[in-house]
Amino acid sequence: MSNQLNLPQVDSNQVPKLYRSVIEDVINEVRELFLDEGVDEQVLMELKTLWENKLMQSKAVEGFNTEEQAALQAAAQQQAQQAQQATQQAQTQQVLLPPQQQAPQQQVIVQDPKILQHMSATGMSAATTAATLALPTGIGPYQQLITSQGQILQVLRAANGTQYIIQPQQQMVLQQQVLPQMQPGGGQAPVIQQVLAPLQGGLPQQTGVIIQPQQVILTGNKVQQNAQVQGGAAPGGQQQQQQIQQQVQQVQQVQGGAAPGVPQQQQQQPPMMLQVDGAGDTSSEEEDEEEEYDEEEDEEKEKDGEDGQVEEEPLNSEDDVSDEEDQELFDTENVVVCQYDKIHRSKNKWKFHLKDGIMNLNGRDYVFSKAIGDAEW
Amino acid sequence: MAYQLYRNTTLGNSLQESLDELIQTQQITPQLALQVLLQFDKAINTALANRVRNRVNFKGSLNTYRFCDNVWTFVLNDVEFREVTDLVKVDKVKIVACDGKKTAFETDVV
Repeated sequence: MSNQLNLPQVDSNQVPKLYRSVIEDVINEVRELFLDEGVDEQVLMELKTLWENKLMQSKAVEGFNTEEQAALQAAAQQQAQQAQQATQQAQTQQVLLPPQQQAPQQQVIVQDPKILQHMSATGMSAATTAATLALPTGIGPYQQLITSQGQILQVLRAANGTQYIIQPQQQMVLQQQVLPQMQPGGGQAPVIQQVLAPLQGGLPQQTGVIIQPQQVILTGNKVQQNAQVQGGAAPGGQQQQQQIQQQVQQVQQVQGGAAPGVPQQQQQQPPMMLQVDGAGDTSSEEEDEEEEYDEEEDEEKEKDGEDGQVEEEPLNSEDDVSDEEDQELFDTENVVVCQYDKIHRSKNKWKFHLKDGIMNLNGRDYVFSKAIGDAEW
Repeated sequence: MAYQLYRNTTLGNSLQESLDELIQTQQITPQLALQVLLQFDKAINTALANRVRNRVNFKGSLNTYRFCDNVWTFVLNDVEFREVTDLVKVDKVKIVACDGKKTAFETDVV
């Protein structure tokens, strides 16, 4: 049996090839469907690219890159280095993403002399200056992002005391916000915030102002945010100014007068989830003004109840048998998806005869045509 | 109709996410996305049946078991997965298994 198929001996080598063949099959089969619906071939290619990129990003499969994509990644990294050199010459300060977080579609190139002047006016050192990003008009639909790992970046204050972050939603916008991904392992995730002077004359196409004391994950063309976000086309400079003022006030209140030299928001590093299960905890880390206010209310109520009552959590905790909480902290839930040939049980001894399965164990993918297992219940 | 079982895998989820992005930008219709997923089901089922040829053994302790609608779901603890070359240990694993007999296909049409 083993000689007929000429398969490599190690299963982990099978997986990339298998996945690649599945992708090819699917794409080829749906090409007709796409054409029937009048959808352009380019969309099909985009689907394929998105699919492959996500697989690469998941790191569940080793060595998944095709030669093309390996070349693309190499080219992208070279571009990033060249851009860095170019922008350093222009006195732009820029941060580099670690390779694993770099996707070819997400690289930010920083160039904006106006911003540079402004930044140098505030007198910040190279190590602590936030990256200012500008999108050269020649760049295509994909925005590019470069940030460094582990570098703490602070909020910049403009000369007039206001703080800005701008996120473009169109390609023509000249300034762009860069927000790196969360790093769960690190204590402080770097947050790049961009402070821009109100460049009323210089940015006719500025589309949105976002003040983001927390992290924002930039994925493709979407942005997921958990703090105040305002976007949309800005019809005029004045209206933007008003928006900016409102948001600045909110930010200033939220940050509670953070010292300019201290990246305060990074010290409070909650997960990106908003708490919806009630206020049982005592630390209020949400930066949303309203939520802070609500939590304060709840805390007061809880304090009043503490005298006569036990807190909510310990009440029924003795009823729990499982230790699920510890296990939920894992990054991956190890899952096996397969079909069963036969499941057998004798007293408390179980035997499993499984087939055609895909496993995700400790973050990596495996496949099998047959699996036999034993377990005691 | 092939099992939709494999949609919740790295491969399947990345496909679904990609399709969702295209739907969001209105480049494809949800109906088309569904067709793509159905095609994926066929392709992955065929690929697994025909292009994979390896065996794995595992042992551990059974935490829970469930058999409902002809689907077995197990949760095992302290499991060792053994292949000829590799050994992988996990503290907890969930196994979802559909009926492997050829006559037993899902009949629900979305």
